Amino acid sequence: MTRIPYRRPEDMTERARELTLERGNLNVYRVLANAEKVYPGWMLAGRAALTSPVLSRRLRELVVLRTACLMACPYELGQHNDIARTAGLSESEIKAVVSDSDWQTAGFNSVELAVLQLTTELLITRGVAPPLVDHVHTELGSEATVEVLMIIGRYAGLALMLNALEVDLDETARLPNLPTT
Amino acid sequence: MTRIPLVNLEQQPESIRQWTARRGNLDVFRLLANAPKVFGGWTDMVDELFASPTFDARMREVIILRVAHLQASRYELGQHMPLARSAGLTDQQIDAILGAGGDAEDLGGDFEKAGFDRAERVALDVVTELCGTHRLSDESFALAHGVFGDEALTELLMIVSCYYGLALVLNAADLEVDVAARFRP
Repeated sequence: MTRIPYRRPEDMTERARELTLERGNLNVYRVLANAEKVYPGWMLAGRAALTSPVLSRRLRELVVLRTACLMACPYELGQHNDIARTAGLSESEIKAVVSDSDWQTAGFNSVELAVLQLTTELLITRGVAPPLVDHVHTELGSEATVEVLMIIGRYAGLALMLNALEVDLDETARLPNLPTT
Repeated sequence: MTRIPLVNLEQQPESIRQWTARRGNLDVFRLLANAPKVFGGWTDMVDELFASPTFDARMREVIILRVAHLQASRYELGQHMPLARSAGLTDQQIDAILGAGGDAEDLGGDFEKAGFDRAERVALDVVTELCGTHRLSDESFALAHGVFGDEALTELLMIVSCYYGLALVLNAADLEVDVAARFRP
């Protein structure tokens, strides 16, 4: 059971309500809207992350699922298990990426594998060996590498909030696919 | 050595130049501005965290410094130790925050001896448990909720979330602490 009450969209400021309804009336938003002075900014950062065309949706969902798994966040896993399917990940790929080590042999391409390795190492040790960062940077370039790191950071931080507040997974509502900017 | 090139702020779009002129020409911004499509949203978030009156500067820096320490972020520590001092934290209090992350009971004693008030100690315990275990026990949640309530507890988590995530980005890039540039809250 979610540990604090949900804010109803009709009780939010107009700006907060617009930002919420743009992405669906999900439990994560209704809970975080309790922090009404900082919620709009957090939503704007999320909009930018979700609408940037720099990373493919497939790569982004791989990073999100791996992060959710390592942060042991049931809410993120529940949402993104379904979202990942709409981004071109198969059921067996999703299963592999949220397992301890099956992702290493699940047939991901070399870029995907390097990004998954980086995500795993960073979340377990809080750092990454230089050759691995260099490898990802060579493959993706600076812009996409920084976006990957910011996605890891955002979803790791969000996982802490969702876990701390024990936010219930929405029964059916899922984050829609937002058009890229 | 930073593993990802830092952008030249002079060559960035007007909005990024204005924002960094206001907040400080920090290397962290030169790193993140490699991703201009997401940097603007991230700065909106930071602006609101620092504009909010929910926590005073002292409490905010207590939270940030503890996250920075537990995430082993040299960069965040380098930027926020001076800010913590300006916000009124003593050297003994900073030392206590940077103490070991081990036994929670001993820690509580250290925090009390260092003169943190009850709300600060509860905040420090929340950060320690959350960064260490990625969750909060029923007892810890109830205690924190009793002290902070719905809005401030959620906002506290927003601060933790921002600095926890940023530490990962900084550690991966292995960013050196700026020689002179300081963040302006």
